[in-house]
Amino acid sequence: MHLYEVLRRPLVTEKTTLLKEEDKYVFKVANGATKHQIKEAVEKTFNVKVTKVNVIIVRGKTKRMGRREVTGPSWKKAIVGLEPGNKITLFEGV
Amino acid sequence: MKVNSEKIENCQIALNIEAEADEMEKTLDETYRRLRRKASISGFRKGKAPRAVLEQHIGKDTLLNEALEQLVPQLYKQAIELEKIKPVDVARIEFVQKEPLIFKAIVPLHPEVKLGEYHDVRVKLEPVKITAKDVKAAIENLRQERAVLLPVERPVQLADFVTINIKATVEDKSFLDHKDLVYEVNDKSNFPLAGFAANLVGMKKGEEKSFNLEIPDDYSIKEFCGKECHFEVVVTEIKEKQLPEVNDEFAQSCDYADLAQLKKQVKAYLKAAADERSRRQLRQKAIEAVVELSHVDYPPIFEDREIDAFLRDEARRLGYHEVEDYLKRINRTGKELRQELQPMAKKRITNTLVLDKVSEEEKIEISPLEVDNKAKEILGKAENGEKMQEFLATPQVRESIERTLLHDKTIDLLAQIASGTHGEGNKERGVDK
Repeated sequence: MHLYEVLRRPLVTEKTTLLKEEDKYVFKVANGATKHQIKEAVEKTFNVKVTKVNVIIVRGKTKRMGRREVTGPSWKKAIVGLEPGNKITLFEGV
Repeated sequence: MKVNSEKIENCQIALNIEAEADEMEKTLDETYRRLRRKASISGFRKGKAPRAVLEQHIGKDTLLNEALEQLVPQLYKQAIELEKIKPVDVARIEFVQKEPLIFKAIVPLHPEVKLGEYHDVRVKLEPVKITAKDVKAAIENLRQERAVLLPVERPVQLADFVTINIKATVEDKSFLDHKDLVYEVNDKSNFPLAGFAANLVGMKKGEEKSFNLEIPDDYSIKEFCGKECHFEVVVTEIKEKQLPEVNDEFAQSCDYADLAQLKKQVKAYLKAAADERSRRQLRQKAIEAVVELSHVDYPPIFEDREIDAFLRDEARRLGYHEVEDYLKRINRTGKELRQELQPMAKKRITNTLVLDKVSEEEKIEISPLEVDNKAKEILGKAENGEKMQEFLATPQVRESIERTLLHDKTIDLLAQIASGTHGEGNKERGVDK
């Protein structure tokens, strides 16, 4: 997987805005991405130092479509901790 | 806030207002707090979005403009209090720059009216005189009104009334088609075309005639201009206009005892009408003369208001609810029409301001009782009494009545001055200086 394919988009929500205080930034990442790849991608793209990467697989929601149950796609969320003082400015937009 | 003011022409003051950074920031913050309650941004509950996110979402400019809408009136109010200005109307705001905020407010002030020596105004009017000739002309008119049409058995002459069937065509297209049309044979008439009447003269009852006439180039229907029109006319009846003889009998038919009485009445009536005319003329000329002597200065917004009010009245009078509908109907743009109305507005305003000033100088006042009386008078003439009563009871209407009465009284005074009848007796000032 190419580095450019790892990070899909930043997640801007109430919760992630709060996390910014702790120098933690949250991304939606490619399903197959590993912590190492995420670390490298964030460091290269934003020119910062990453100390920690936590990933979570967010399960797709199941919905009922008539009689069938349909599951939406799962995706991977990465919470990236930066060294104190490092900032990602791009984060304000969606 | 920093303010400086300068006086500019037409009774206006220009205020240059500059906002301090912290005032600006405070308002921006307030606006953010207000807006975030309503903004729904995905990822945030309502009212929970941080300022940076909100700014990104709605745009920084939107926030700024929203804030200015609050800040500008606020600063303007402060500035006015600071400079002790009394505006008569809303100010015109011009932005110099938005961040940091600097703007200019052009404040209309009370109009300045300098009256001239209006006590010296004299207007000369032609004395009213009713001559025997006038009376005769009036009686002649009465005769015409009471004329009867009598059928006659002879060819058509000028001044007859004929009943005709008429068919007119222009190049196979129908131009006119009437049956039993009553037509006055008058060689000065241009209906339907010049020269039509002359063609009728000499025709007998029941006679048919066809002839051609040229339609002039400036005829109102474009299509027919400059073409030949073919007429076919049948005369079915010829009537002569018979004027009643001027005698006692005629006077009695007009409800007077005899001819002398009639003449006397006509003369009195003419005299009254002429007096009324000259009274109006005197008032009109008196105002004009006083306005001429005065120097009036007022902010341009007065003209706009006047034109607005005029257009609104006009639109309402013609049964439109919105001025726009009215404009569309008469096919005019507001801008054009406004320019046309501007001199009228100017005149009206000048007159009003001068009259106001004169009434102030002369301490002319209208008591509530007078307003009541006038209202009753209007009510008496009104058709839908109850509605009118309600309408008349509103403060705005009462005020408008009061103003009308006040102006009326003032004009009366000016007319008295102008005719030289004022000041005989107790008031001596200004007269015969």
